[in-house]
Amino acid sequence: MSVQRAPEGTIVLGETCPVEDADALLRLLSHSPAATVDWRGCRHAHSAVIQVLLALRPPLLGPPAGRFLRVHVAALVGCLPG
Amino acid sequence: MNEFLEQFQIEVRELTEQATDDLLLLEQAPGDRECLERVFRAFHTLKGSAGIVDFTAMSRAMHAAEELLTAVRNGGTEGSAALIGGCLACLEQVTQWLVEMAAADAVPAGADAMADRLITRLLGPAADPPRATENADWVDRLCEAHPDAGSASLAIRYVPSADCFFHGDDPLALLAAMPGLRALEVLPVRPWAPLDSYDPFACNIVIRALADATPEQAAAHFSGVRGEVALAPIAPAANSSLAEQAIAVLRAQVTMLQHATGEDLGVRLAAAGRVAGNVLRHSGQVSQARVVAAALADATETLDATPLLAALQHLLQPPSQPVAQPDAAPRRPTAAGTLRVDANRIDAIVRVVGELTVVKNALGHVALLARAGHDPATVAASLSREQLLLDRLTTQLQRSVLEIRVLPMRHSFRRFPPLVRDLATRLGKQVRLEISGEATEADKTVVEALFEPLLHVLRNTLDHGIEAVAGRVAAGKPAVARVGLHSRREGQNVIVEVSDDGAGLDIPAIRRRAEAQGALSSEAVTALSDQAAADLIFTAGLSTATEVTEVSGRGVGMNAVRTAIEQLGGRVAIDSRPGEGVTVRFTLPFSVVMTRVITLETAGQMFGVPFDAVTETLQLPRQHIQRIGATEAFVLRGRTVPLINLIEALGLTPDVARGEPAASATLVVTALDGEPAAFEVDAFHEQLNVMLQPVGGLLAGVRGIAGTTLLGDGRVLIVLDLPELLR
Repeated sequence: MSVQRAPEGTIVLGETCPVEDADALLRLLSHSPAATVDWRGCRHAHSAVIQVLLALRPPLLGPPAGRFLRVHVAALVGCLPG
Repeated sequence: MNEFLEQFQIEVRELTEQATDDLLLLEQAPGDRECLERVFRAFHTLKGSAGIVDFTAMSRAMHAAEELLTAVRNGGTEGSAALIGGCLACLEQVTQWLVEMAAADAVPAGADAMADRLITRLLGPAADPPRATENADWVDRLCEAHPDAGSASLAIRYVPSADCFFHGDDPLALLAAMPGLRALEVLPVRPWAPLDSYDPFACNIVIRALADATPEQAAAHFSGVRGEVALAPIAPAANSSLAEQAIAVLRAQVTMLQHATGEDLGVRLAAAGRVAGNVLRHSGQVSQARVVAAALADATETLDATPLLAALQHLLQPPSQPVAQPDAAPRRPTAAGTLRVDANRIDAIVRVVGELTVVKNALGHVALLARAGHDPATVAASLSREQLLLDRLTTQLQRSVLEIRVLPMRHSFRRFPPLVRDLATRLGKQVRLEISGEATEADKTVVEALFEPLLHVLRNTLDHGIEAVAGRVAAGKPAVARVGLHSRREGQNVIVEVSDDGAGLDIPAIRRRAEAQGALSSEAVTALSDQAAADLIFTAGLSTATEVTEVSGRGVGMNAVRTAIEQLGGRVAIDSRPGEGVTVRFTLPFSVVMTRVITLETAGQMFGVPFDAVTETLQLPRQHIQRIGATEAFVLRGRTVPLINLIEALGLTPDVARGEPAASATLVVTALDGEPAAFEVDAFHEQLNVMLQPVGGLLAGVRGIAGTTLLGDGRVLIVLDLPELLR
């Protein structure tokens, strides 16, 4: 599992997030709904993980490392290009 | 009205009429391929027209109907009665939207909800989840949303199956690996579930994308995925030429801009820019649409149409002859009105105008004679001869001009067959609607305003007039009821009748109801003739229906009908034959603008009274008028007629200087809700045919004024609305 909760409360996505991470991300977000998700280190996230971001719209810390995520997905999940 | 909405109105009306006829035909002959094709084409064109004026709701509804018809065309499904009913409902809604658009001069608000209803009726309630949250025109939408995806040649829609994650699919990874991906959209299929019931492993997304790839490449890329994939090639923007219709629309924008003047230039610029942008996007020329948008911004900033004109004219230049006409002569603006007029009628006017010129010259000659000191008798004779001629010609011209505003009843009548069919089905009754006299003509206002009252009457007829099939058979009548809709011309009037062969009005029930509701005393109810009792159904709040049904029976219907017809200057009558049926008759003026008035004088002022409002005029010795309480009355042919004080009703000061009243009173008798009432006048003057101007300005709020007109000597004649004034 690559989804981690950082000591300061931020949820950090790993370099590659497999399908199981969707459940982990969901559980972390339901514990602390206002937590920011830091996906700057993420190169690839499974559709199920992206779907969680789409559905819950947590504040995101980006841009993500992967090109596809940066170019095509970031705008969809409300992450400003930056 | 915006020129485009006008054009839209004309075209859409014609298309819906044609499609309605064809659908009814198709119901009779389900195998008629040609007819089916015509219906399909009509819906397709309607969808396109809606797109041009940016009417998305209508576009969606038309698309849903088009999809169903496509299935029928491909032999996938049968053209069922439900399908025809659904398509007819769509067309009826479109007609309703047209009316609303004409009134509001914009795309109607709340149309989306109606469109959703229609789509649900056509396609079933969310039978197909992706369709429920997605727009049907997804390709257009996608291209519009991503104007920067310029070189994309393929639109992709991919709805992964809900369980695809369990099978190891990663739909977005597939997109990430798609060569030439230009744009991506991900939307939920169903609304996202709340946090506590959210299932992270159920796939709930629709993926839409634009890519620069061939359909074959994409098909190979998506082969074997769970879910559905749709691929739609996009016409490349650069070398696709505009459709004829689009060119016409763009041309009209150019014409409009060329003729735009300072004041409304801003509005026209915005309108032209928006329409042109829509047309271009609709034609798949997204990049050109952007050019136009930029030109529009320039033009709006400087309030100068030149940049936008240049951009549009550049688009309109045929690529084969780039410098054919660098500065083409401005086209004449296309007709601004929405009336389609028979050329013969225009020719008739042109002829009369020619003759008028002759009279004008003749009058010049008479003036010369008079100036040269010719015999006054000869000059007078010539003058009156020319005046007669002029009189004849102006009458003719008036008639011809009014005829331009004339429409056949067909215009309203043709909407009824599908509506009656739908109503009868809902009520479980069998009805044959027989229409005759639909070629009868009347003023456009009358024909268009007739639709609603007629619909009310037809609803009542079907709901209450026509018995259930069992009842009809028991009464020895054919199971299929006959409802007639008939129109004919009678002198200056147009008669429209709705007749049925149903049970007739339940007169005793009407009497009971009128008494129970306190509308009339029991003596008055007993004294009423059957005819008068039947007329009670036009009274507010009186409905004889024992229960309020979905279709009718709220007691406002027939009263609303009478009000609507009276507003048109018409009358309503009902004729009921127990067990045989009912005929409701509207008597309407042929034209609402041309009114015959009788001029009269009271308290030293001239007034006009519409000729139809006057039942009779008479001289009555003053001793025959008796004072009853606060009012006066007299007996006319055995009936007591109240004498209303017109001066008081008008709030005028009586002419005190006049001295003693004459020995006999000059009276005008009018009918007020069928009851005679009279008022006294000082004198009658001539009768005139006038064009009644609706009252505006300060007079607009004054009660009892039907309109105004100019008299020959330049004075304004106020024409009284007697029923309103005396009520």
